[in-house]
Amino acid sequence: MKKSEGLARWLIQQAARTAPPSLSERLEEEWLADLEVRRGCFERLRLAVGCCWATRVIAYEHCAASVAAAATATGSKTMSAYMEHDEAYFSRRSVALLLIIALHVVIVWAFASGLGRTVLINLTKPMTVVPVVERTLPKDPPPLPPVAFTDVRIKLPPQEVQVDTEHDPDPTLVIAPPIPTHDSGPVATVVNPVKRVGAGPGNGFPNTEDYYPAAAIRAGLEGAPVVHSCVDEKGRLSAAPTLAKSSGISSLDEGALKLARAGSGHYRPMTEDGRPVSSCFDFRVTFHLLTR
Amino acid sequence: MSLQTLKVLEAFLDNPADELAGADVRKRSGIASGTLYPILLRLESAGWFVSRWEAVDPASVGRPRRRLYRLTPSGLTRASEVFASFGRGVLA
Repeated sequence: MKKSEGLARWLIQQAARTAPPSLSERLEEEWLADLEVRRGCFERLRLAVGCCWATRVIAYEHCAASVAAAATATGSKTMSAYMEHDEAYFSRRSVALLLIIALHVVIVWAFASGLGRTVLINLTKPMTVVPVVERTLPKDPPPLPPVAFTDVRIKLPPQEVQVDTEHDPDPTLVIAPPIPTHDSGPVATVVNPVKRVGAGPGNGFPNTEDYYPAAAIRAGLEGAPVVHSCVDEKGRLSAAPTLAKSSGISSLDEGALKLARAGSGHYRPMTEDGRPVSSCFDFRVTFHLLTR
Repeated sequence: MSLQTLKVLEAFLDNPADELAGADVRKRSGIASGTLYPILLRLESAGWFVSRWEAVDPASVGRPRRRLYRLTPSGLTRASEVFASFGRGVLA
């Protein structure tokens, strides 16, 4: 005998026993005969539950009919006050106990499924993830060789003098600009070195742990994808961030991209001589669990 | 009269001479057992149905006896009147 059939049989017997005594045996045999033709676990249990409900209805109607008959026989209407409703399967205490058990089951399930771990992580803040700038910015230009000043002599070409006395009552001299010529040696160009400070996540940048996918935490997955971001001089994204290097785990890659998008406005722009400029750079987002 | 009760009566009116067990009525009417059996008992106590045990030996057939229900003549008349009133639109 299968467990489901045994359970259904037991439920039917219990239900029949709580029926009015005059109907108890009849209902039990009738319902067990119905159970024999049921196929499948679900169908049997459905019948058993239905019989439990049917017992309640039958007991209520039987009780009401008995009271009505008694009242008719005695001419008294106070009999209904003595009508007992003992067909209830669960008392209030039993219902409260079942609710408490169900609540505990839900709590255990929540902790077992990882919800508890998520809560603990949020409470203790165990992860400290600092995005690391991967791409090295172009270094400062190498120092120029010492400038050798040479004697530069500029020869001016012969100056053309035009005098137009007919059209110009006030003749002036028009002198073509001198064309510098170098007779010898290179001319040194003095270039001031530019001091650059690289871009990266700045103040107010979101916490990485907030974008650690919950499924990855439950699965114990770790990784460090690299994100490519372009920001303007105000630290805002000038283009959608892309994945420069995958961590091999799609959920972590997506979490890193979300983090990069959420950080728009909180990037530290690159500066050249203290002046912010737009730039593109890569940074690594490390998703790491402190404890496994 | 509830819709479920009408469905039970309809299951018997297809062939009024048939004796049907609860499982047979459930198959014909599609009513769940929790609703079906109180209706059968109600109609039986009202005199619309009569019931008897199946004439088999449970030990020999290896299963409990089925309870068979059948429309009484008065039940058949009253059920027919109910459905006829539907046809005239009285209860519609």
